[in-house]
Amino acid sequence: MTQLKLYSAIFVVLMALSTTQALVERTGFVDFDAPDTYWMAFGIILVLSFVKAVFVATYYMHLRWEPRSVTYLMLGGLFVALALTTAAAYSIL
Amino acid sequence: MSHGEADGHDAGGHDFPPMSSVKRWFITTNHKDIGILYTITALFFLVLGGVLALLMRVQLWGPGESILSAGAYNQAVSAHGLLMVFWFISPFAFGFANYIIPLQIGADDLAFPRLNAMSYWAYLFSGLLFIISFFQGGTFDGGWTMYAPLNVPTYMPNVGGTTVVLALIMFIAAVTMGSVNFLTTMYRMRAEGLRMRDLPMFSMSILLTVWMMLFAFAALLAALLILGAEHLLGVSYFTADGGTLLWTHLFWFFGHPEVYIVFFPALGIMAECFQTFTGHRIVGRKWFVLAMVLVALQSFVVWMHHMFLTGINLEIKTLFMVTTIGISLPFDLMVFSLIYTMIKGRIRFTTPFLFSLGALILFIIGGITGVFLGAVVLDYEFRGTYWVVAHFHYVMVGGATGLFAGIYYWFPKMTGRMYDEYLGKLHFGLYFVGFNLLYFPMFGAWETPRRVFDYALPLGTWHKVATVGGFLLGASFLVMFYNLFKSMAVGEEVGDNPWEYSTTAEWAVSSPPPLENFEGKPSYADGTLSFRDEPQLTADGSGDGGPGGSASTDGGIASGASETSSGHRSDGGLRTESATAGSGSALVTGPEAVTPTPTGTVAVHEEDEHADHASFWPFVVCFAGFLTFLGVSGIQNGGAYPWLAGTGGVLSAVGFVGLAREPFYVPEPTMAEQWPFAGVENMKLGMWMFLGSDVVLFGGFIGSYLFLRVANGWMHWHHAFIPEDHVVLPGLINTYLLLASSFAVVIALVAAHKNSSRGVVASLSLTWLLGVGFLVNKGLEWQHLFHVSTEAFPNGWNVGTNVASSTFYLTTGLHGAHVIVGLIMLMYMIPRAMKGAYLGDDETSIEYFGLYWHFVDIVWLFLFPLFYIL
Repeated sequence: MTQLKLYSAIFVVLMALSTTQALVERTGFVDFDAPDTYWMAFGIILVLSFVKAVFVATYYMHLRWEPRSVTYLMLGGLFVALALTTAAAYSIL
Repeated sequence: MSHGEADGHDAGGHDFPPMSSVKRWFITTNHKDIGILYTITALFFLVLGGVLALLMRVQLWGPGESILSAGAYNQAVSAHGLLMVFWFISPFAFGFANYIIPLQIGADDLAFPRLNAMSYWAYLFSGLLFIISFFQGGTFDGGWTMYAPLNVPTYMPNVGGTTVVLALIMFIAAVTMGSVNFLTTMYRMRAEGLRMRDLPMFSMSILLTVWMMLFAFAALLAALLILGAEHLLGVSYFTADGGTLLWTHLFWFFGHPEVYIVFFPALGIMAECFQTFTGHRIVGRKWFVLAMVLVALQSFVVWMHHMFLTGINLEIKTLFMVTTIGISLPFDLMVFSLIYTMIKGRIRFTTPFLFSLGALILFIIGGITGVFLGAVVLDYEFRGTYWVVAHFHYVMVGGATGLFAGIYYWFPKMTGRMYDEYLGKLHFGLYFVGFNLLYFPMFGAWETPRRVFDYALPLGTWHKVATVGGFLLGASFLVMFYNLFKSMAVGEEVGDNPWEYSTTAEWAVSSPPPLENFEGKPSYADGTLSFRDEPQLTADGSGDGGPGGSASTDGGIASGASETSSGHRSDGGLRTESATAGSGSALVTGPEAVTPTPTGTVAVHEEDEHADHASFWPFVVCFAGFLTFLGVSGIQNGGAYPWLAGTGGVLSAVGFVGLAREPFYVPEPTMAEQWPFAGVENMKLGMWMFLGSDVVLFGGFIGSYLFLRVANGWMHWHHAFIPEDHVVLPGLINTYLLLASSFAVVIALVAAHKNSSRGVVASLSLTWLLGVGFLVNKGLEWQHLFHVSTEAFPNGWNVGTNVASSTFYLTTGLHGAHVIVGLIMLMYMIPRAMKGAYLGDDETSIEYFGLYWHFVDIVWLFLFPLFYIL
């Protein structure tokens, strides 16, 4: 696959996943009065966001072709942000 | 190597004014000059913070109000803490780091010299902003921890309070520029054969410090941007339910790593001094380094021990008590390592060693008393008392003690002259006695409430002793300044190396070092420092090591110094293992750097060309930033403030354009150890480092949103705070637009590969249009939401309507600001592309821009579901 085709295919996937996220909302899964359904939709939508982010970082930002240390650098930042968010939120549960 | 090079025009043919010229200090981008500027500026802030401390001590001579009003005392306490922690200790350490690190690792300069200058000027002007805040109705008076809700405009309506918030934001900009610069330099510009594990102890400590700075300060930046928006835009984060707790989380997530950010450079200096003045390599060096790495990692998982008195749950308090006790273990190892080094070596009681030893003793006391505060039950009793004040100062000022060791240790290197040893020891004696007279009585008077000048009468004796100690400590610095000034003029001249058992590379060059540091290329390929000829390198890229080097990579055991043919001392080098290029390292050969020119072409420089990057523009840009922030601080009051902000804005634009158009040349090293970032050019690595920091910045914003939503009830949030008109569609359209713009950037890259100028221009233009479309769509959405009129929101859904609107507008607004910055970059790139830039091998600029733009895209991929769907 040429570079252009690869980038184009990823673009199509990204657009499709974004549309899917909106469709999950449109089909009524994001129901604030039905916690089980809501949290399932919550999980699906955020996983889709992570998948999209991984696609962009891996291919558009060329992380796949960089030394692994660059990936670890970004994962380090992500870990720090997640540590703050999860521990802080847990502290008031 | 001649001394004259540092004083005036260097051998490389630079048009660089001599050090006696005022102009030099405004245009300099040389790391040694910047180091001197940092050191002097930091000492100025030491004096300022110290005078404020003495005012407090006079007030505390007896209980109750005396020379300061209650408000003035609050300002003195707050300003003293902020100035000392932010504007003195770390910048003082980074004065040494700037001067010494490139020398220790064998680099000519930092990776981004102009960014380094910008970092300094931003630091200086941020400090000036702070000083001005005293004259704007009073400075910040809510304590150095700036706790909410005292920090919000309701309780701090004076302009000065806002100015301090903006000064801190500017300071963090300086810190982030510095962090990115040092990390890139230390990973990409080490001398051949210098492995990461073999970095000298000071360099190792700075490496870990800048890693912590990169992430910790980003969290504080998030907190301060939100606080700034509370003051200037009227958002409500810290006054909402859970808001005060949110501030403590954000602040201490930064605040605890900050303790080690302050202390690590001192630890590095202490290790260097212990090695040099005991003549013995640090005992258990590998474990010492490992312990430092552990502390750096653990520092991000202990912050809640500062919050045991808040309403966080018991489970998390217990967990953080465990992590806090855990972080003391690696410190124990380091302390024992330093003590055992003294036992194994033969001590020379020079001034730097005395300060290092003093720092160790003070830190041990600070550490032990800190364990009390790490235990939940004891902390209930001690928190908010002078126990904390005493412990905190034993740690932080203990760290500063190590830094004063550094100023004596490197004074001969920086000036070429030796300080007066008697006066140095006198300074230490007064300092150490004064320090303990000042802070130790605070343990006795621990029942005194913190930040308050009233206390129980029986505690008066303790406080009087402390005040005497404070003045003694202050007086000790008069001795130091006198000694240093006098010695600069009439001190005994020193050669390259005045210390018999020093082992690091800065001692292998003249004092002061020449402008470009080394005449040849430093190499550790054979285990000790040697210098290779440039012509030889050009010829084969792997010539034999030449004679002359003396320093070992990691401070190996000195065993009988001897003079080599080039006059540098040879010390025996590494004892345990020789430093060779490890796996994953890279030797880069050939000319590296290219210089963008205003015409859109690139100039490839020959190997023998010298660095050329002196610039007036970093000063201009930061001065403009200073004017802008000053104007913004009081913009709600009108008068001269809007004019200042406008003038600053225009001057900023002029400055950035000037900076972008100015030709410069920064050579990347021809032979360098670059593990683990071999193959990632300096500029690209710098961009990745910046993005790593930006992850934490956005993490802070998104985390704040999630925290407040949990605090206010996750499901309740949507029902109570969000209008019906806030729908998914605008967010989805913007997702499409940003994804398409990201795609357009990669198409531009493909076009550049194919040497298609039209393709590059068209793709970049499309990116720009899609970005503008994103902003227009967002603007329309915001306009609509501002003017909704429903029963629940009769006056629209504005920035300050409720906590949900605040988090929505501010978080997506920060993202929008990133989009705007990207569009400005494109407005510079597109005209250049029209002139034929970025084709073929010159596509890197598009790639670097793409990294930024795709990152902004990724952030939106999370903002979209969080703020529009869920």
